[in-house]
Amino acid sequence: MQLALREMRRAKTRFGLLIAAVALLVFLILAQQAIQTGLITSFVGALREQSAPVIVYSTDGQRALQGSIVPPPLEAQIRGVEGAAAAGRIGQGTFTVRVEGDDDLSDAAIIGAEDRSVGGIEEVDEGRPVERPGEAVGSTGDFEIGDRVQVVAVGVAGAGEGPVLEVVGLVRGAQIQVTPTLFTTWDDHVAATQTVNPEAPTVLPNAIGLRPEDGITAAELAARVNDLTEEADALTRDEAAREAPGVAQVQQSFQIIFLLFALVVPLVTGLFFLIITFQKSASLTLLRAIGIRGGALVRSLLVQVVVVIGGGLVLGTLLYLPLTRVEVGSLVLRFDGAAVGVWSALLLVLGLLSALVAARRVLKIDPYEATVGGGAR
Amino acid sequence: MRLALRELRRRPGRFGVATAILTLIAVLLTFLGGLLDGLEAGSTGAYRAQQGDLIVFADGAQTSLVRSRIEPEVRAQVEDAVPDGAVGGLGSAQLGGRLEGRGPRDLVGTVVFGYELAPRGLPDEPPGPGEVYADDSLRSEGVEEGTVIQLGPARTELTVVGFTSDAKYSGQGTLWGSVDTWRQVLGENRPSAAVGEGTVQALVVAVPDGADPADVAEAIDEATGGATETLTIAEAIDALPGLAQQRQTFSQIIGVTVLIAIVVVALFFALITVERTALYGVLKALGARSATLFGGVLLQAVLVTLVALAIGVGAALLLDAVIPAGSLPFAVTSGRLLSSAAALLFAAAVGAAFSLRRVLRVDPASAIGGGA
Amino acid sequence: MSPSAPALRMEGVRKVYPVGDDEVVALDRVDLTIGADEVVALVGPSGSGKTTLCSIAGALLTPTDGVVEVGGTDITGLSPKQLTEFRRDSVGFVFQTVNLVPFLTARENLLVVDELGARRGRAARDRADQLLEELGLADRADQLPSELSGGQKQRVAIGRALMNEPELVLFDEPTSALDSKLGEQVMELIRHEMKERGTAAIVVTHDERMTRFADRTVHIVDGRLDDEDGRVDEGEDVTAERPSGAR
Repeated sequence: MQLALREMRRAKTRFGLLIAAVALLVFLILAQQAIQTGLITSFVGALREQSAPVIVYSTDGQRALQGSIVPPPLEAQIRGVEGAAAAGRIGQGTFTVRVEGDDDLSDAAIIGAEDRSVGGIEEVDEGRPVERPGEAVGSTGDFEIGDRVQVVAVGVAGAGEGPVLEVVGLVRGAQIQVTPTLFTTWDDHVAATQTVNPEAPTVLPNAIGLRPEDGITAAELAARVNDLTEEADALTRDEAAREAPGVAQVQQSFQIIFLLFALVVPLVTGLFFLIITFQKSASLTLLRAIGIRGGALVRSLLVQVVVVIGGGLVLGTLLYLPLTRVEVGSLVLRFDGAAVGVWSALLLVLGLLSALVAARRVLKIDPYEATVGGGAR
Repeated sequence: MRLALRELRRRPGRFGVATAILTLIAVLLTFLGGLLDGLEAGSTGAYRAQQGDLIVFADGAQTSLVRSRIEPEVRAQVEDAVPDGAVGGLGSAQLGGRLEGRGPRDLVGTVVFGYELAPRGLPDEPPGPGEVYADDSLRSEGVEEGTVIQLGPARTELTVVGFTSDAKYSGQGTLWGSVDTWRQVLGENRPSAAVGEGTVQALVVAVPDGADPADVAEAIDEATGGATETLTIAEAIDALPGLAQQRQTFSQIIGVTVLIAIVVVALFFALITVERTALYGVLKALGARSATLFGGVLLQAVLVTLVALAIGVGAALLLDAVIPAGSLPFAVTSGRLLSSAAALLFAAAVGAAFSLRRVLRVDPASAIGGGA
Repeated sequence: MSPSAPALRMEGVRKVYPVGDDEVVALDRVDLTIGADEVVALVGPSGSGKTTLCSIAGALLTPTDGVVEVGGTDITGLSPKQLTEFRRDSVGFVFQTVNLVPFLTARENLLVVDELGARRGRAARDRADQLLEELGLADRADQLPSELSGGQKQRVAIGRALMNEPELVLFDEPTSALDSKLGEQVMELIRHEMKERGTAAIVVTHDERMTRFADRTVHIVDGRLDDEDGRVDEGEDVTAERPSGAR
């Protein structure tokens, strides 16, 4: 133990550089983990936060809320499914809005739910849920409580101004498609859509939210709906978030990036320790010759590996901490303790495994070499 | 200098470690770059394919094609503002397509565009009603000339009569037809977004020769009294939702990776230099200047990096050829490869510089009386 | 540089190192003159200052006081960069341990000095080949040090030391790693080569048996020279020539 630490103190540059490399890699991995989670949340957070355990799209919608349209016959079929305790229309559109007090126009996705308990927001992080038309719950960071948001018609001659929604509550991580999001009533959604499209005959829902009766799981209910008709695409809340367009691609890309970076860590540490073992062979031979057992030398090596990777993990996590307070673009990054734990364990194991090659080399040292002036290569 | 080269040639194993890790980093850099470019190409193809110079959106649409509407009166104003240029309508609709032989829930994601001013690769005269050109990324879904695609809930039938390339939008393959075809598709499948006769989502404007697009853009917005927001194609691309964020995120990841490369090179060359202290002492005693010795270290770092780059670039090209078009967004551009190469070479030089002090510090007098 | 200028002239040379608040005197007013083709053995215990003396004589170190001339050129006040150039052009070294560059062939090891400096190209190659021939290594020219025996490596090192036609060659314990028979062979070779070319040499050795190959022996203790007028032992005719006896 002493030997291991003393050597590290003597060769501060090398070990320092190695710890720096590991720290940067750890930071990068954790940061990307956070970015990936943040990105996905900004795509589908709204789906996760809304109250319906089962969301039924039309198959043609390709699991994108805005792209899905549920015509009346299909709606009737869906409502008729056995085992649904409640059903409610869900409509979503992306609109140009003006927040009172701002001169600029901005974007907002408006999700209107016929029944707040299947498609709206029941639990808010600030303020209170929607109780009547004209109110909305907004995504945190995009709106403030008390904001009055008006839907603006665009380039359409003769259209009046759209409905005004007052923000009464806020919920975190509730954006859809990376757009500021407002949860409101079905009637408000219809009014907004008709403002923007006065020529539209009727406004159809984009999806139907369902809640299963006691004793039936959400997955079972979704399966029943899918069995009813091929035109309906029913998903549980988690599935809907996972299967939304773009999410799979983001996850796939990041998986590969993680893999490559995770490979670099054990490679760098393993090879570093192998090299210095070679460089130290003279002194290692001497130590063996004076009676220090091979096992002790290997343990000393492993202590160094743990210190290096542990040091890198601590440093990398410290670098990652301030990042999670800052916004990368409009992504909100959260400190993910679980991710830190998992990656720490993984990298420690990989690092120790990578040092096995060096350890084998240490054990192969023949103390006899010391007497013949060998050992130094 | 030749000393350094000879060492590389005769003792390649010693540098094997640094080379292996740099290769991994080079592969990482080219992969990250390729991913970023692939994602961008998938989002921006339709715009980049446009041969016009400007896109005119409705004011307040926040440059979103889907939310924008240009009616005939506004169009007339635009046309008056650009008498010597060309103005064409543009419309889009994102719908799922059904192909023969695929399951009832197995849809192909497409965006249908109606055009008047032809983008590159498409005929000046748009195809007839119900006929479209397909972006060749759709070939991976089994689409061929003559394939009939049923679009959306209304199952509107469109026949593919040809192909174009690099024209994706929103990460999906595109279908290009006349504006009338587009209106039909929209009306049948998205009734709440239906447009009237003569209305389009946006206008593509080709400015007359010699005119400055920025000036024309301003003129158009003035002529319509602020009812329009006109951007150059490049600006419209930059304004695509999520694009700027994507670029920023990836650029930061790439930046940190280059930093890691610097540290790795510094680390491994520091290790190599330590081994060579005695040799450097002898060489300095013989009359070698520190500059020469350090130059050798730098040269080795650069050459090792070039080897790593060769493999990294090779891997990128291999990946590009092997990945089926459409599964993973990946595109290899020479600009990106060059910048990755430059970044890694810079990292090598900076990393090698860490050894400079150690080389300088070697005392030639240590060669005498020196020994184990 | 006049042909009769001594290879080395050190006058009143002192080298002092500050150690904490004190100072260590490594060389204490050393006077030493070595003739243009004289072979001198330098004998002393470790810590005696012989390394410091060689370093100063070899233009590796600047003295604190005194004058140093090598081949008639005053190198006392030269900057480190100038010393480097001087060494490259006028001094030869055969070190005790690390001598040859392990990844260069015998010929390439001889050419190292040329590559570091003036780059005389063809002329240097010819000289290298000639030296290798004279040292009996012509057939080993393309081999790496790992493929050569201890004695052969020494000869390559000697060849390299002679490449730049130096004023002075410094041999640091050339026989310490060799058995006595081989050691004698090497010392004979050294003497032969030096005399052949009329090149001066300092041979640092702790082995008194080897001093008979030198023209004279100089002892150094605690930084001071004890200049004995050592001659070739009577009765042993190890050289063909008589020692040149410059003092």
